[in-house]
Amino acid sequence: MLVFAISDKGGTGRSVTSSNIVYRRALQGSDVCYLDFDFGSPTAGAIFSVSSVARGTTQGGMHGYLEGRLADPHRIDIWAESDREGLRAKPPGAGQMVLFPGDEGGGEFSTVSEEMLQRCVRLFARLEEEFDLCLVDLSAGRSFAAQMALAATARLPGVPFRWLVFHRWTRQHIIAADGLVRGRQGLLAVGVEHGHDKETLGDRIRFVRTAVLEPDAAELEGLRETQKAWLNECDRELRELAGRHRVGRTSMLGKIPLDPVLQWREQLISDEDVLSSQIANAETVAAFDDLAKKIVDDSAWEAL
Amino acid sequence: MLVMGEVRTGLLQNSGEIPESLCQSVLGLLSGERVRVSRRPIVYAVSPDQLTGVDCRLASASQARVRGVGTVLSRASVTGGRVLQGSSHIQVVRSESDHRLSWSHYLARPGVVEVFGKIRVPDLSEGFAESARNDCLDLGSVSERFMDAVQASPFLDRKAPFRSARTRLRWVAESGPTGSGGAESGPTGSGGAESGPTGSGGAESGRAGGGARTPEGTGIRFTLGRDQVRTLRLVLPGGFSPGIVDFCEDLALHDWLLTTLLVIVEKARVGTASRAEVTAKLAPAVDHLLHLWMPAARLDDAFAPFWETLERRPGFSRQWHSLVERVRDQVAINTLALLRETGGW
Ligand SMILES: Nc1ncnc2c1ncn2[C@@H]1O[C@H](COP(=O)(O)OP(=O)(O)O)[C@@H](O)[C@H]1O
Ligand SMILES: [Mg+2]
Repeated sequence: MLVFAISDKGGTGRSVTSSNIVYRRALQGSDVCYLDFDFGSPTAGAIFSVSSVARGTTQGGMHGYLEGRLADPHRIDIWAESDREGLRAKPPGAGQMVLFPGDEGGGEFSTVSEEMLQRCVRLFARLEEEFDLCLVDLSAGRSFAAQMALAATARLPGVPFRWLVFHRWTRQHIIAADGLVRGRQGLLAVGVEHGHDKETLGDRIRFVRTAVLEPDAAELEGLRETQKAWLNECDRELRELAGRHRVGRTSMLGKIPLDPVLQWREQLISDEDVLSSQIANAETVAAFDDLAKKIVDDSAWEAL
Repeated sequence: MLVMGEVRTGLLQNSGEIPESLCQSVLGLLSGERVRVSRRPIVYAVSPDQLTGVDCRLASASQARVRGVGTVLSRASVTGGRVLQGSSHIQVVRSESDHRLSWSHYLARPGVVEVFGKIRVPDLSEGFAESARNDCLDLGSVSERFMDAVQASPFLDRKAPFRSARTRLRWVAESGPTGSGGAESGPTGSGGAESGPTGSGGAESGRAGGGARTPEGTGIRFTLGRDQVRTLRLVLPGGFSPGIVDFCEDLALHDWLLTTLLVIVEKARVGTASRAEVTAKLAPAVDHLLHLWMPAARLDDAFAPFWETLERRPGFSRQWHSLVERVRDQVAINTLALLRETGGW
């Protein structure tokens, strides 16, 4: 299955959340890969702690492959090549976890040629032979990368795909997420241009809220009653707004709580970070784990 | 003689094996000509030969700039309606000219690539067998393109029963020393570590393989590398024969079967996971793979000694049969246990 990760704005937590989903899915036993299609800022290497490709690879990554400069894009086995010791031993029963990094200094595409599109189709088809889940991290907003993804999946009718739209829990982000899907030049409009059916495509899109601070969270214990009441009111308004913009509960696949570790550093959260060093919250891992299951669970993707 | 090629092998992307009639349609997509099919002892269908014109650098161990012009000969095949292979090779010869000739010259010599200047066989064969370079002729990606075309066929449902990686067998065949009985130039080293292809899908980077010499100045060395890459070095008396390509494809097919079965067994977590889970994980192997093992079934007798060598070390069939036994035992035991639990026995 192909899963495309997109957000309207940069800095929403799309890459960090997607990487953690991929990691959780591997721990659950699936063979997974992560394709860095955020050509302007390929940060996946840093999140997976592979310092040699922290800002993209110099050995020919996704960008170079799509441009036709190489046939075999650089492929990194995270279980073998991560700098983090805790990641360097594949737990028994875990699946493969492979990163296809972007290119250092790659930059966004300014057009999608027919050749590039064909390369993209071939890449997706090949990876689908090998992996249960291929997560494609796209650039923020309406990019050529997103357009290519829509065009490529229209040409691969036998390959299942899904879209995750990441957004933060704020007014601006809620409105923007809706616009990215349903607005002018949004995913649905561009998808239809490339031959997708609007309804079917719509059913394959879900929203993910990132870095959410619930009004009843432990972090907010010390607040005054007036502050709590105000937060509750804000949250209620946001829920209403989300509902109106069809970004509400029914079209949401999951939400990830604000986590102190992720606040400070873009990384995978291991069970160790929760259990032994206790720097990360158990709720965060539980949310990633849940999302990793829901991505492939058909009952979470029934038509709305 | 210097011949080199690369075979890529993978699972045909369909829920079940496809019948012979469908092999025709699936492989026929590549060109108008007819697909060849042989039925015994296993259904094997192969596309007509495909030519790809090339004018590019050839890899060389010394990094010397070697330019080759000619055509790559490729074909795609389906074995047992289940396993897909893309195979490409070239014969490297010295050009009689010092400049590029018209394409009609090269098209008249399918599968021949002409090199300007003297050919240093060890330099080219080493260079090719090492890792593929982006700026040099890449036969693997040519093979893969033909596989992709087959996998994209509308006759396939793309619902493969399990995920699996494509393997890459890069091979080089050269002539043995004429007359001398073959002491020095065999690429076989001293035999090396003979631990066999025990890896579980290429995660390990160590070298393991079989190297040996058959009596008449021939040699074979099979090496297991990382990222699903295997290399095969052959030394043969005489010149090129199409049987070499058949042999390499046959070896690639069986190496893929073994590699894939090893991965399936590893993932089944025998002894750790529940009986029902183990059986569910092993079932696709029983349904789709176990009956495909038929080494040297279609080969020219001249190549039988090579298979015999590989059967001694690393011992492909030994490893395969022991795995198959393990799979069958597990499925049998687990089924009995489940029957007993449900009171059905
Ligand atoms: N659940 C979270 N809690 C706190 N901070 C987060 C969370 N998710 C992401 N972040 C942080 O937000 C920032 C942006 O995340 P990133 O994944 O790089 O965004 P994007 O890919 O959308 O541009 C990073 O510093 C990241 O660590
Ligand atoms: Mg990012």
